[in-house]
Amino acid sequence: MRIAIAVRGLAALGWTLCVAGFASAQLPGIAVERGLAADLGLGIGDTVRFGTAPDSLRRLAVVSAIYQPRPDPAEISKRQRHVRMHLPDLAAALGAPDRVDRFGVGLRPGLAAESAAAVLRSNAFGYQVHSTRAIASESSQTFLVISRFHRAIAIITIVAGAVFLLCIMLLKVEERRLDAAVMRFIGVRRRTMFGALLLEAALVAVVGSVVGTGMALMAGAATNAYYRRFFDTALTFSHITPRIVIFSVALSLGLGLVAGSLAAWRLVRTRPMVLWGRQ
Amino acid sequence: MTGIGWGVRSLGRHPLRTALSLAGIAVAAAMLLDMVMLSGGLEKSFGDLLLARGYQIRLTPRGTLPFDTEATLDGASRVVAALRRDPAIEAAGAVLGTALYGRSADSLVGLFGYGVDPTAQGLYQVTSGADLTPGDTAGVLLAGPVARLLGVGPGDSVTLIGRLDPQVAMAAVGRRFVVRGVVHWLYDHRGQLSVGAVLPVMQRLARADAADRASLVVIKARDDGAVGSLAARLRREFPELEVSSVADLVAHFKLRLVYFRQLSYILGSMSLIVAVLLIATLLTITVHERLGEIVTLRAIGVSRGTVIRQVLAEGAALTGAGGAIGIGLGLLTARYLDAILTGFPGLPAAFSFFVPRAGTLGTAAAVLFLTGSLAGLYPAWLAARSPIAETLRAEAT
Repeated sequence: MRIAIAVRGLAALGWTLCVAGFASAQLPGIAVERGLAADLGLGIGDTVRFGTAPDSLRRLAVVSAIYQPRPDPAEISKRQRHVRMHLPDLAAALGAPDRVDRFGVGLRPGLAAESAAAVLRSNAFGYQVHSTRAIASESSQTFLVISRFHRAIAIITIVAGAVFLLCIMLLKVEERRLDAAVMRFIGVRRRTMFGALLLEAALVAVVGSVVGTGMALMAGAATNAYYRRFFDTALTFSHITPRIVIFSVALSLGLGLVAGSLAAWRLVRTRPMVLWGRQ
Repeated sequence: MTGIGWGVRSLGRHPLRTALSLAGIAVAAAMLLDMVMLSGGLEKSFGDLLLARGYQIRLTPRGTLPFDTEATLDGASRVVAALRRDPAIEAAGAVLGTALYGRSADSLVGLFGYGVDPTAQGLYQVTSGADLTPGDTAGVLLAGPVARLLGVGPGDSVTLIGRLDPQVAMAAVGRRFVVRGVVHWLYDHRGQLSVGAVLPVMQRLARADAADRASLVVIKARDDGAVGSLAARLRREFPELEVSSVADLVAHFKLRLVYFRQLSYILGSMSLIVAVLLIATLLTITVHERLGEIVTLRAIGVSRGTVIRQVLAEGAALTGAGGAIGIGLGLLTARYLDAILTGFPGLPAAFSFFVPRAGTLGTAAAVLFLTGSLAGLYPAWLAARSPIAETLRAEAT
């Protein structure tokens, strides 16, 4: 955390960073994140001046690596830049030798992380002990909230879509009043008419679902392209799985059939003369 | 009867169809309203929160935002003294944030400690008991959740521990304090366990007293209109510090939550499109159904303008009624969505994503009404251009 601050301070005073002509072999190495290296025009072997504050850039280091950070959804909106150093070099720069923020503990195979954490928690005075799973669960809370929000928006969208579909189906079927009257006059059975109208509703729903799926795939691709560029990350923002497609198509088919059958039922139970507009 | 009267009455001929259309428009309008509230609510809510105590500028370590990192600035008293000499500044105070422990029976509770200057603080409001006084080194302020957890109130004593020493398994820095008051920390998230003491006490607990460290300095300018120029001047005077006005912080915040703003624009536009499609479809089919009636009216001398007004009035009536229902529905769903989003970990409890504002709501209503009314243009054009004789002949057969 603190070294990131130092680098942000350095970025603000970028003109003081590159210093040539030092005996770089004796300087500590520093690994620089790709984005930061691009921002500051750094390459392997460049010497940088760094410190914990812009007015105390007294330390020098040689860029020994430029790395691509692992995509992390928790970090993208912060837009912080990072560097990596060997622990003793960083501790010396911070003036805090032999101090760390946290320890990582690897357990022998077969040991349960939670029970080991409980033992450490009861014995290690002054430490907070967390299992990796607990940390992952805690840090994923943000995304659970976003997921809940998306689900709520999806429900509202489904309600809006259902009403829209019902309305359109009703209008489509009502448009066929004269056709229905003529069919009834020439002896076509109500059941046949109902089936025909239902088939038409199903066809409309299928075509709508196919077009909608295509639009969703295009919108998803556009969303990913835009946000990957916007946040300079390889993360996937829109992920349309077969399960989502199946659910959406099944839902729209179901809604289409329900809406179509309601509208068709309303039409076939109306007397032909009323449909013809003579009563 | 006027064209508008006809238009409104014609909606009553098909109650089911009209009801469904109204429901569709209402849901679309509710979504539009929610998205308008979301797009502007973020910055409004955050700006109001930052200005809750009237402090318009924050000074933090260079490259950081308030409490965004653990970085601190040193020589806080020197910075504050220099700021207080500035005639453009009404008040300035340093704040230190640090991790603490409180003793509850035989166990320790993790707390967040604020070191404040009670005469110049923009962080809390006293809800019961008394505030700290500047020289009060024995007093402490507790957040409601801490008071409940420790089972104490104003006048009681609590033990706070600044640092634990794992090597000797004991508290390295700790002492007893008297609870002066229970306060509402403005920037705390729900249930946050925060305590406050005067800055020198908190610096000692955090072992930050030697370098006189603070997390930030808050500044209240005498003139609200001069905040921008004061911030610019402070940037020149304190190049080692980050000087952020409320506008700067809101801009940073908007950048972080850009996703929600963009989502609100996209979903708001889609809601508008759905409403327009629904109205246009309904009116087009209605016009087709009533073509005979419309051309008969034309044949007896009713002008094209009256027919167009009638169709447009139907669209306007649908949009108006659907929008009115949509406002109520939108306010309800906004509360539901806000309850979800304010569950973000670490978000101040006072923060809101969906903020109803008269200006933005008026704009949304006007846009919906205008586009909804314009959705009737195509069906109105269809109605007006129908050939009278040909249509009447077709209707007769």
